[in-house]
Amino acid sequence: MPNVNINPDDIMIELRGLKKSFGRQDVLLDVNLDIRRGETMVIIGQSGGGKSVILKHMIGLLQPDHGTVTVDGVTISTPEYFDTHTIRRKMGMLFQMGALFDSMDTGENIAFALREHHPELSEKQIQETVTEKLKMINLVPEFRTKMPSELSGGMRKRVALARAIALNPEILLYDEPTTGLDPITSDVINDLILDMQSKLGVTSVVVTHDMVSAFKVADRIAMLYKGRIIEVGTVEEIKNTTNPFVHQFITGQRKISVEDDSQN
Amino acid sequence: MMIFKRFIAWIGKLIITGIENVGEVMMIFIRTLRHVPHAYKHPNLIVKQMIEIGVSSIPLLFVTSIFTGMVATIQAEFQFRDLVADKFVGTAACKMILIELGPILSALVLAGRVGSALAAEIGSMREKEELDAYTVLGLDPYRYLAMPRFLAFMTMVPCLTIISNCLALIGGWIVCVLALDITTYTYYTGMQYLFHSMDLFAGVIKSFIFGAIIFVLGYYHGLNAGAGARGVGVATMNVVVASCLMILIADFFMAALLFQ
Repeated sequence: MPNVNINPDDIMIELRGLKKSFGRQDVLLDVNLDIRRGETMVIIGQSGGGKSVILKHMIGLLQPDHGTVTVDGVTISTPEYFDTHTIRRKMGMLFQMGALFDSMDTGENIAFALREHHPELSEKQIQETVTEKLKMINLVPEFRTKMPSELSGGMRKRVALARAIALNPEILLYDEPTTGLDPITSDVINDLILDMQSKLGVTSVVVTHDMVSAFKVADRIAMLYKGRIIEVGTVEEIKNTTNPFVHQFITGQRKISVEDDSQN
Repeated sequence: MMIFKRFIAWIGKLIITGIENVGEVMMIFIRTLRHVPHAYKHPNLIVKQMIEIGVSSIPLLFVTSIFTGMVATIQAEFQFRDLVADKFVGTAACKMILIELGPILSALVLAGRVGSALAAEIGSMREKEELDAYTVLGLDPYRYLAMPRFLAFMTMVPCLTIISNCLALIGGWIVCVLALDITTYTYYTGMQYLFHSMDLFAGVIKSFIFGAIIFVLGYYHGLNAGAGARGVGVATMNVVVASCLMILIADFFMAALLFQ
């Protein structure tokens, strides 16, 4: 559902007519979505509905079968576009399970990309940056020596977030940031997402089916249903929606009083 | 008629899948080679892999090589007893070990130990989205994961083959001295008799090819591992089977090529 009344310069990520199938399974049928510069957009939808697939298109990990993905004015979904490196330098991503490099300690995980992309930095500067990023996610510098296997689920995600912001990205993508966490740890992650936006001014895209999290961190919410974005709105607009599918999802009802409820 | 059509379709699909798989293996190889010129920037990653692949394999190779050398020598003596002079036991052991037993044995043992470990590691990294994490951070997994492992395989497999050759020859000597009543001098002169430097070089050249086979199949099966523990288990099994087959097939062609 494109937002037609906003300045094109204000759009950071634009998805148009996105289609994607895996084998015979059609995951995305026609996804249209604009994400504005500096906002936190939360994409909600059922598990296995294709939310993470959208996220992977935004960062170029997947190429659409049809349609376009434009990031900061650059269309990255064409076969001719090879400079994914430049666009990825603008983006950071928090993976569902953290995806920390198991063979490296926490400090190395955060420093690795920094060291490779900025060989001009001294070891002291790199360690200072690691400390700064750890502080941003409310962890003490001594944490740098911990191995990923020694960390709890919440800690792993916090360290993964520190790694994602190590290169000072303009866009942060969060793939199910609170999945598998207890409510209190989930709230810590939610606060960190809000912190990142206020401290770094990043554009954030959060994929989740955790409505508590969605309502807390979102500027706007988009609902993905059967391969299409069926509604986009502010938190208040989504809470007061008249769309039965969106209402069913945000209230967590199993049954719906409309004809097309075959998936439920 | 319908069954015939289905059979033809099945054959066609099999051929297409086979070509796709070979293409994918070749692409892995080419993408890895592309990063070899940058190897000097990542000595730590390469040395770490050399230790894991090479140094850690020595204990297993020590036992297998010593015993294989002992068995080969004892068999040579049994088969040729009363037919040829004792010194030919050393000749037979040396020829067998340097040309075939050493390279093949090392390659098969390494396919089982490090080939399967490579597939399991890459499969597990793919499952946990670590490979995507490299890409998202603007780091090419072929540069940071594939290239160091490739170079470690290419250097360590030949080194381990030479070590395996030496250990097997020592195993043969132990048997000669302790069990077969053949003196060290006789065994040693027998080894020198009919020895050609090509015997040694051919084994080392083979081991380079075997190293490349184990790496590329390990990486390929890791990247294509199915989901979950079963997927990784199947991938490790497949890499051992595929590597062993390819090593034996490649050995046949190289034997024909190198000893024409």
